[in-house]
Amino acid sequence: MKKIIFVLASVAIIVACSSDDSVTPDDSADTFDRKAMLINWADEIIIPRYEFFDIAVNKLAADADIFTDEVTLEHLNDLRNSWQLAYTAFQNVSMFEIGAAESSRFRDRLNSYPTNTDEILSNITEGNVDLSLPSTNDAQGFPALDYLLFGVAENDTAILEFYTSHPNAAANKNYVTSLVQSMHMLSEAVLTDWQNQYRDEFVNNDGSSASSSVDKLTNDFIFYYEKSLRAGKIGIPAGVFSNEPLPENVEGRYSKIYSQQLAVSALRAARHFFEGRSFISGKDELGYDDYLNYLNSTKNGDILSALISAQFGSSKAAIDDLDDNLYDQVQNDNNAMLLAYDALQRNVILLKVDMLQALSIDVDYIDADGD
Amino acid sequence: MRILGLTTICAATLFFSCSSDDDSGTAIPINEVTTPANYSFTRDGESTVSFSGQTTRIAMAEELMSAFNDFDTSTEASLMGMFAHVEGEDDFTDPALNASDKNIRSKTAASTDYFGANATESNLIKSTFDGYISTHINEVYPNANTAAAPGVAGQIADGSSARYITGQGLEMNQVFGKGLIGALMADQMLNNYLSTAVLDEGTNRVDNDNDITVEDKAYTNMEHKWDEAYGYLFGASANEVNPLEDLGEADGFLNKYLFRVDGDADFNGIAQEIYDAFKLGRAAIVASNYEVRDEQAAIIRQKVSEVIAVRAIYYLQSGKTAIINQDLGGAFHDLSEGYGFVYSLRFTRNNQDGSSFFSRSEVDDFISMMLNDGENGLWDITPQTLDAISEAIASKFSFTVAEAAD
Repeated sequence: MKKIIFVLASVAIIVACSSDDSVTPDDSADTFDRKAMLINWADEIIIPRYEFFDIAVNKLAADADIFTDEVTLEHLNDLRNSWQLAYTAFQNVSMFEIGAAESSRFRDRLNSYPTNTDEILSNITEGNVDLSLPSTNDAQGFPALDYLLFGVAENDTAILEFYTSHPNAAANKNYVTSLVQSMHMLSEAVLTDWQNQYRDEFVNNDGSSASSSVDKLTNDFIFYYEKSLRAGKIGIPAGVFSNEPLPENVEGRYSKIYSQQLAVSALRAARHFFEGRSFISGKDELGYDDYLNYLNSTKNGDILSALISAQFGSSKAAIDDLDDNLYDQVQNDNNAMLLAYDALQRNVILLKVDMLQALSIDVDYIDADGD
Repeated sequence: MRILGLTTICAATLFFSCSSDDDSGTAIPINEVTTPANYSFTRDGESTVSFSGQTTRIAMAEELMSAFNDFDTSTEASLMGMFAHVEGEDDFTDPALNASDKNIRSKTAASTDYFGANATESNLIKSTFDGYISTHINEVYPNANTAAAPGVAGQIADGSSARYITGQGLEMNQVFGKGLIGALMADQMLNNYLSTAVLDEGTNRVDNDNDITVEDKAYTNMEHKWDEAYGYLFGASANEVNPLEDLGEADGFLNKYLFRVDGDADFNGIAQEIYDAFKLGRAAIVASNYEVRDEQAAIIRQKVSEVIAVRAIYYLQSGKTAIINQDLGGAFHDLSEGYGFVYSLRFTRNNQDGSSFFSRSEVDDFISMMLNDGENGLWDITPQTLDAISEAIASKFSFTVAEAAD
């Protein structure tokens, strides 16, 4: 709670600063320095986050090698830890589905859940599965590893047997290896692209057309917030979009204890991106909040950027209240899930309607036709 | 829609006023009919409404559609078995469908008005649908685990879904399903059961006037024909007397897309208009008022034709947007649906001349335009081509491309 108040206070100060410094802008001429914001996004947030993710995935790959070389409980637990760290780091980058991430379908390949356990097992039997095919989305990435490292058998002894005495043990290990290699390859490809040429292309595309970097990434960000964070992590398991709650659809279903923490990480990453907070220094640099303040954007007399930051805070508080295992939370007290969903939903309105209107950005996605 | 209904009743009343003036000098309307609250008609306490054959065919088409992408079990023979079912054959999972003597293929492009004396085109269309199945099985199935590329069949991502396409970019299940909306549902409805050639066939009028029902049935032949038209739109509805309750959910064919068009603010109310026309037309048959009946048939023909045309344009335009956004998987899905709806245009009905809004050659030209911007069909299609086809479709109606596209 203290932290939230602190952040609010700092936002308030920034609001004061930026409006002191700048002449009240004319509505029709938005002269905000989009390029400076893009540079902050790329150099202080996006690339450092991908670098951090890549380190985590490298560790995951190394621990997978160790595990498949010598299957022991210790190695399994090391691999599980690396998986959890990389999964948490993934929450920092999942929202940036642009450039190589978009063309490689980064999020769909790394985090489609619920995972399809039948397909995983048939892929193992068939061997040589092409994980770049969209039909394999739900048999790879973090959720598939979640199943293979935590849920493939009743207890740790039986899980270890899946990789040792099981008639398909070699193929089972191979599948873990190919999943991790494919994740590693995706991470490297996206990071390298940002480091090599995409960074300049991104920051130089600083106009305000639908294909400009700000417009595109803003759409990607809000799409992510709405579909992956609000719906995927909370709303869908809570049954907001179905007749009954779907607890088995939580993120990290098989590891059981990480689903709430993954949601917290994702929410923090979203908030920090909104505020332009550097992943390197932790400092609040140019972000959406500054852009909105520059435009003097208000809603019903309140400062819009402060409303959004405060709502991120309320959402955090609501998710903090939940059980570590959201599966249990849905089963035991789904109402708390619905409260968290409502808190997240309020920011969909503020971001998707009010912020986009203020920034004159059109929504470029619609809800799918459903057929 | 209320205004339209009222106009129709007034017109009918007026007409009869005139004719009764001649007879007796007093303006007593005979056979006056009003739109009933729901689609419920009885004779001696027994319902006279029956369209089980249509319900069966819709259910068969649903099973066929869901079997299309069942790569593990479907074969060309199993899909063809569902399309051209023979009584007693074990083609479906539902035993009731297996026992049925109905099938889809024999009613495809089989209306009296359009194909009664045009077996050549009817056969051509049936073979075209056969071809969709064989292309899917022979071209797409072997490549189900291949990434699609220009000229290479396989799978492609559409958002988080995998779509399975031919080398030309066509998703055959979409082409088949949306084509069937025209070739089966609309054709049977507009050009067969709502046709005077069918409604008034043989002694139907005299029988209907004299309440002579079909042997062992509660309905007259004419009543039944009208119901069969109704069944191609509402045959799978949960509540047959008030089918608008679950409009859009009853089936994946005409019912679903009437709901979609009705959901567009530019066309809101069209579902009620069609439903009202079915009710009033059926009530007119009960009242032996054939003028009102045929006016309602004309409304249904116009509106159902519009549903097909609006949806064709809608998908061509969504496909265009997806191509501009370089979302090829999304584009191919939309354009495959669009292709099926364009194919369905052949079965629309223009009340001005009683023929289709689009001739065989016009539809063939559209299809050819879609596939011939380059060597690889939809992979090469341009926004200009999609706009040209959309404009050509809209030009036959009173709505614009923009109104249909949103």
